[in-house]
Amino acid sequence: MSQVSGKLAAGSPVVTVDHVSLDYYKEKEPLPVLSDVSMTACKDELVAVTGPSGCGKSTLLRIIGGLIKPTSGEVKVLDSAVTAPRDDISMVFQNFVLLPWRSALENVLFGLDSRKDLSDAQKKAKAESALEIAGLSGFESVYPGELSGGMKQRVGVARALATDPEVMLLDEPFSSLDDLTAERLRKETYTLLISPQTSVQTVILVSHNVEEIIELADKAIVLSARPAHVVGELRIDLPRPRNKKSDEFFQWVDKVYSLLS
Amino acid sequence: MALQFGLIALDIAASWVRMILALGLSIVFALAVGIWAARNKRAESVLLPLLDIFQSIPILGFFPFVIFAIYGPPNSLLHNFIGANLAVIVLIFTSMSWNIAFGVYESVKAIPQDYADLMGVSHASGWQRLRTLYIPASMSRIAYNTQISWAVGLFFLVASEIISSGSANIPIPYGIGVAVTQYTPSTDPGDYALLIASIIVTVVVWRFLFLREFALWSEKYKMMEEPREVHRDPVMRFYSWVNQRSVSKLFLLAHGRGVTRFTSSIARFRKGLRYAVLIFLAFFLILIAATLAYSGTLRISSIPSAATLGAGEVSAIIALAVSFVRVWYVVAICIAIGLPMGIVISLNFRLYDTASPILEVISSIPAPILLPAIVLIPVIGRNPEVVAGIVIFLSVFWYIVFNVMAGVRTLPADMKDLPHVYKVGRASAWRNVYIPSSFTALVTGAITAVGGAWNALIIAEYFQPDPKAAPVTQVSVGIGKMITQATNAGNNLTIFLAVSSMTVLIVTFNLTVWRRLYHRVTQRYAYNR
Repeated sequence: MSQVSGKLAAGSPVVTVDHVSLDYYKEKEPLPVLSDVSMTACKDELVAVTGPSGCGKSTLLRIIGGLIKPTSGEVKVLDSAVTAPRDDISMVFQNFVLLPWRSALENVLFGLDSRKDLSDAQKKAKAESALEIAGLSGFESVYPGELSGGMKQRVGVARALATDPEVMLLDEPFSSLDDLTAERLRKETYTLLISPQTSVQTVILVSHNVEEIIELADKAIVLSARPAHVVGELRIDLPRPRNKKSDEFFQWVDKVYSLLS
Repeated sequence: MALQFGLIALDIAASWVRMILALGLSIVFALAVGIWAARNKRAESVLLPLLDIFQSIPILGFFPFVIFAIYGPPNSLLHNFIGANLAVIVLIFTSMSWNIAFGVYESVKAIPQDYADLMGVSHASGWQRLRTLYIPASMSRIAYNTQISWAVGLFFLVASEIISSGSANIPIPYGIGVAVTQYTPSTDPGDYALLIASIIVTVVVWRFLFLREFALWSEKYKMMEEPREVHRDPVMRFYSWVNQRSVSKLFLLAHGRGVTRFTSSIARFRKGLRYAVLIFLAFFLILIAATLAYSGTLRISSIPSAATLGAGEVSAIIALAVSFVRVWYVVAICIAIGLPMGIVISLNFRLYDTASPILEVISSIPAPILLPAIVLIPVIGRNPEVVAGIVIFLSVFWYIVFNVMAGVRTLPADMKDLPHVYKVGRASAWRNVYIPSSFTALVTGAITAVGGAWNALIIAEYFQPDPKAAPVTQVSVGIGKMITQATNAGNNLTIFLAVSSMTVLIVTFNLTVWRRLYHRVTQRYAYNR
């Protein structure tokens, strides 16, 4: 468990995105991608970011993760500015990004590679327990090529969890899975992340699947087409577990769709 | 100076005429064979493995046979200027045509069934189908593959011109390979530098004025689903060429899985392989028969005894073993340099954009034209082993570095982010991510590089510009040297023993070692399965 957990009061901000803009340069002409985006993700919240395809929502996620530097503005996690990838931020990718030449356990261990404070035995124990909470005990020595899509993503989740992150970034994590698998993994991942069992304080999910957002998110940030700016911020106060067939659910879905179009 | 310049222009013009004729011949051949193989299942099962064997053997070793078969003995019909040129053109053709033929085959194979139905419904004749469907559908691949075939053909042009005017002493009055044997950089460095500069300028200008325009023009024939951008990136062009060669190799290598598009063809390919090997052997026997017949007409007494045969074979095997080591140590050096270099270049977009056109120009210079200058480098130029190593290196390094560059470039962006997300050290990122993810590209590059190295040996091991003078450089033992010396002496038996031993070794090696290695690597290291 991380040292900061518990100290934070529920609802206090963990991630603050403060007036972030990003320009790409194409033949020296600036091409605006993000324009003045601000948002927060608070303790025990799952914040969903959505927008038309290609609007830059995954780019925003990479800025939050410290992989891309914004042209202006700042991202803060727990009051310190994010300038590079950090130990307390982890990420789950759309296409799993597992190393095919390493077993499930070795893939999770790769996430712990930079931890100088742990012995090899401690790393192994951590990786094994991460696999176990991701529902993969017994699959430690299996290679990604022999795993189904859903199981590959479980390895991805285990790898991200093993580092004890405070902030979990999910980049379309369910969109390359088939419907049934995605449905199950969605539920499990939510329960897992928003539970005291893990160190995660807040989750930011990028998704273009509106129903997925209404099912999971406490708050939805809707971005416009390029250059992306925030066109809506919705607090989704549906009680959990959410019934996907209820009228309220559909009203929320419609609300997001109307902001998107 | 003006006179020299005029002569050099004449040399380049002569070479380019040979190249263009060989290219024309290659395209006609490729269309005939490619369409036939794509439309006829029985032809497909034999032609594909046959093409594959031909593209994997060191064709330059066969040049003496080509000379015997076309140029012939003094009293034959083509024992003149025409025959000599024809021999060179045929050799260039053999280096260019296979990959264009595979391109045509794949294009015609990829035509959707609807189009074939349309032709059926409109009662199109064979000629109409050819003109309105098969040829246009193949056009973009022909143009695309021509860009690389040209670079490969240049190597064979220079090599065959050097052998013709040097060792074999047949009348090839002009050509850049001939010029290389005439201008010695030690006595007239200015002329030699002018020659090299002119060749480089011509290669580059030709690339942009003809090859590129041809490729752009052919884009209008592209079927919808093919990517459009590829032509502009030399690295990706090389990559797709090398991998296309290994698509055909995959037939040999695949154990029933792998390339899904061709899965049904793999079984047929295996069945046809036996016939292809038989046809290849028959072709080989005809070559021997023809060669022995010529020897017979020339020197009756030269029919070999078992003892000379045995002795010849023993020396061929020794030479082969030495050359084998030479090929592999140079390819090992290419990998040691090309793997890290390719990874570093591809991980940095700006460096990639600057480096790839520069590397493309250097790679398109046929290495043998630099040999006379390499010999002059102090200290190392006097060591024939080092000179041979450098010439082989310059001939095949590109297959490795371009393939690694393209392999890393085609990695998903997330994969490149992964080491950053988890903040792993540089050493760990290389060991766990970059190097393993380049392995498949590296192995396909290495297969092609080793094939190229066997060809390069023929020039690199023994260089004798003037048949009456001592060779400029020669290694002590080697199969390339053995073949070139035997060509020089008109010793057909030795040529035959050397070339057949080399061919057997390479085909066996492809079917056993490469096949296993490729299988293992694609099993474990292929990304995104």
